[in-house]
Amino acid sequence: MEHKQRKAPPLPRLYLISSGEEHAHNGTLLLNQLNLLPRSLSCMVQIREKQLNAKELLELALQARAMELPEGTLLLMNERADIALAAGFDGVHLPENGCSAKVLRSFAPELLYGCSVHSASALCIAEESGADYLLFGPVFDTPSKRIYGAPQGLKKLGELCGATSLPVFALGGITLQNAASCMAEGAYGVAGLSIFQDTAKFAETFDQFYLQVNR
Amino acid sequence: MIPSVPFLCVITDETLCPVTLAEEALKGGAAMIQLRHKTASGNQLFNWAVEIRRRCQEYHALCIINDRIDIALASKADGVHLGQQDMPAGAARKLLGEMGIIGVTASSAEEALQAEQDGANYIGFGHIYPTRSKLKESSPLGLDILQKTATRISLPILAIGGINHQNAASVIAHGASGIAVISAVSRVQAPSVAARELVRSINNRTS
Repeated sequence: MEHKQRKAPPLPRLYLISSGEEHAHNGTLLLNQLNLLPRSLSCMVQIREKQLNAKELLELALQARAMELPEGTLLLMNERADIALAAGFDGVHLPENGCSAKVLRSFAPELLYGCSVHSASALCIAEESGADYLLFGPVFDTPSKRIYGAPQGLKKLGELCGATSLPVFALGGITLQNAASCMAEGAYGVAGLSIFQDTAKFAETFDQFYLQVNR
Repeated sequence: MIPSVPFLCVITDETLCPVTLAEEALKGGAAMIQLRHKTASGNQLFNWAVEIRRRCQEYHALCIINDRIDIALASKADGVHLGQQDMPAGAARKLLGEMGIIGVTASSAEEALQAEQDGANYIGFGHIYPTRSKLKESSPLGLDILQKTATRISLPILAIGGINHQNAASVIAHGASGIAVISAVSRVQAPSVAARELVRSINNRTS
């Protein structure tokens, strides 16, 4: 089903997901990362903190929103469109079993909607719901996702990218070395958690990633 | 609109299908159903909310969603119920608009007064009696604190925690506008009968 396309500049190609550990760090990991974002580069930033309650999530989101971020940076909240709206975020990222983007658009048309997809059938549902972009993974082996089985691999990433006109971000075990191969398979950009957690190297890692995805 | 006569709110129990329980509770005369499920997916919650809201409309009852304002807006529910760990009522009001009902859980007069200031429409106050539905670290508030709180706030108070058909009338006599229950309706053989018995208790009080 058609939906009104967002009249906005193209999405950034780099996608940062919060660590999921903020309950032990009082939000400081993410706020530190946002502080270190290179001024000249924009990125997508998703707050995904399953251990935080709604009150804490809103507080963290408001702190992130109040920061001065590089132009074009988009702030997204995992799952909770209500918190995204309350914090003035740019969008919401929905898990495969989340409430449909189509339904959420009925009261929040201004938000950008992303969907996680792990299969061709999930792709159909996400496209039908009017997703703005997709997150596909895990492409490579990543410790946090081993319990779900083997990684999906580059071939499946390529198949998914070939089957949709939506921007696809590759997630899971992405490194500076393999980012270009994801782009070669048709990914629009790459996403990561752990690679961005060493804040000492953060800005440098970020710059190098951009060279990989833009070449 | 929140009923002006003593009313029953049934909160869904995570161990049962919320739609079935809501249906039974409505048959028994519940005037408010609160969908509360902390572990269900967003899609599942939305589907349940739509089904419960439809049944509530048939029975002229209110459909309230716990914590998730997004699900309440998506399903066109009547409102939300917010705990002290959820989004503050003031922020929720901006999303829901003036017509949406906002309930806030309070376990002290101070929390109840704060919720009133923040624009809540009713207070869920408890727990009044010992309860096995939720693990509680604090001791029960009792009827005395309920009554003192009721005199200090003008919002309807929905008493919660260990309420059954034997003590329901005294809760109303101590200033509550209604009662909210989980296990008294969900963990019995016939939920609709239990609901009906509770409704009768709060409407036929003698004290």
